[in-house]
This record gives sequence, structure tokens and C-alpha cells, in this order.
Amino acid sequence: MYKALVCCRAGMGSSMLLKIKADQVISENDFPIQTEHGNLDSIIGFNGDLVITMDDLSEELEDQVPYALGIRNIVDKIEMKEKLEAFLEQKEQK
Amino acid sequence: MLKDLTSEKLIQLRKKAKDWQEAIRIAMDPLVKEGFVKPGYVDAVIKNVQEMGPYIVITKHVALPHAQVEAGALVNAIGITTLAVPVKFGNKDNDPVKYLFSLSATNSRDHLSALADLADLIENQKFFTMLDQAESNQDVMNYLKKNSQEGKKCIKH
Repeated sequence: MYKALVCCRAGMGSSMLLKIKADQVISENDFPIQTEHGNLDSIIGFNGDLVITMDDLSEELEDQVPYALGIRNIVDKIEMKEKLEAFLEQKEQK
Repeated sequence: MLKDLTSEKLIQLRKKAKDWQEAIRIAMDPLVKEGFVKPGYVDAVIKNVQEMGPYIVITKHVALPHAQVEAGALVNAIGITTLAVPVKFGNKDNDPVKYLFSLSATNSRDHLSALADLADLIENQKFFTMLDQAESNQDVMNYLKKNSQEGKKCIKH
């Protein structure tokens, strides 16, 4: 099971919506990913595998976390699914 | 439920804004007037976007203006604003923004069911058609009441 942090700047608005949507896609596809949510401060000390955030934030995070996944459209389940699959594929290759 | 966190006073239809900053100020205005957020909260929302980019634009034509609780969120509330003329936020995928859901959240738990409601509503084109066609704030509230009740029934059965 991989551990994902879903976060936005405040840890209140977009990240909560993003977590709801990510959880829907994860459970529909039986992805081995568990999510928790937080703000940008939660990244300090985060020991999980993946950070899910809005696209505008993900570029800044790339150097700070093992894997950053940026979502452009929160209701686009295909985008979410493809990006989670890309993460899982990368993990399996290692 | 979303209907519990918003009210007719927090709904504004077909407002005019010249740019994204004014759109955020308009969308936040009822929350400031009701004392649900401190005036400084609105500045924090704008500052966040200036510093971090337009990440509050979460899907096509929809923005969720919000900031961290420390910036001055006092009462959990969600305002609903539509713009007469959509404005650009600088989000290449989802511009221009027409619908703004201004959020004040004092902790991450209490507004979860309202956000879950919102997450469902923004997937449904009917919701946006309703916002475009609504003649009064009451029309919007009636829609929200009807739709969250249906949601509740689904959970019970």
C-alpha cells in the first residue's frame, strides 16, 4: 500500500475536494493507495510515496517530495486515473 | 450539507467584475459582511494566488477562493457567486471563471459533508445550468435543498 498526501496551500478547500475525488477514483480502480490530507506544511516530514495537489502547486513541489502529481481539472476522473496509473507503473519498475 | 453552510444572503447572481482580484473580492464580500471571515482573509486569498498561481481554479470555469484558517476564517460558510461576464485567472486549462464558491473553513472536518456535496454538484452540468437560469437566490437554495435531501435518502437506503 502506497501512502499519498493530498494537499493545497491552506489544507482546507481544494485539497479536501481533491481528496474526495482521488478517493473515488482509487476505490473504483482498487489502486493500492491510501490518502491523507494536509497543507503545504504537511510536506515537511511527510514520509509517504506520493503527493497529490493542484497542477499549479505541483511544479514547486517536485524537488521536495518523492513523487508529485498535479491535477488540472478536479472533476476529470480520467485525468486522475491516468496520473495515478503512471505513478503506480513507475513504482513497479523500480 | 452545502445547504446548511450557505444561505440566500451568501448567494450573488450575475455580478460584474473587471478582473480576477475583483471577482474574488465580490465573491468574498457577503462572508465579510456577515462576519464569517475577517477582511484580511480576502487579502490572504488574493495573496495566495499571486504567490502560488491560480490553483483555486479547480475545474472548468469554477474557482474555490479560500485561504488558511489563520488568515481569518471565523465561521464555516460557503458563498456562491456567478459572474455576468467570466474573467481570466491565468489558469490555462480552466479559464475563464464564471462560478465562484467562496469558502470559509475553521477546521477541516466540519465542512467536509458540504464539500462532498459541492464535489458532486460540480460534476453535474445541471447545477451550472440552474445557476445560469436562476432568477433569485431562493431558486438556488431550493435546488440545493432538494438535491442534498435526495443525497441523504441515497445514503440511508
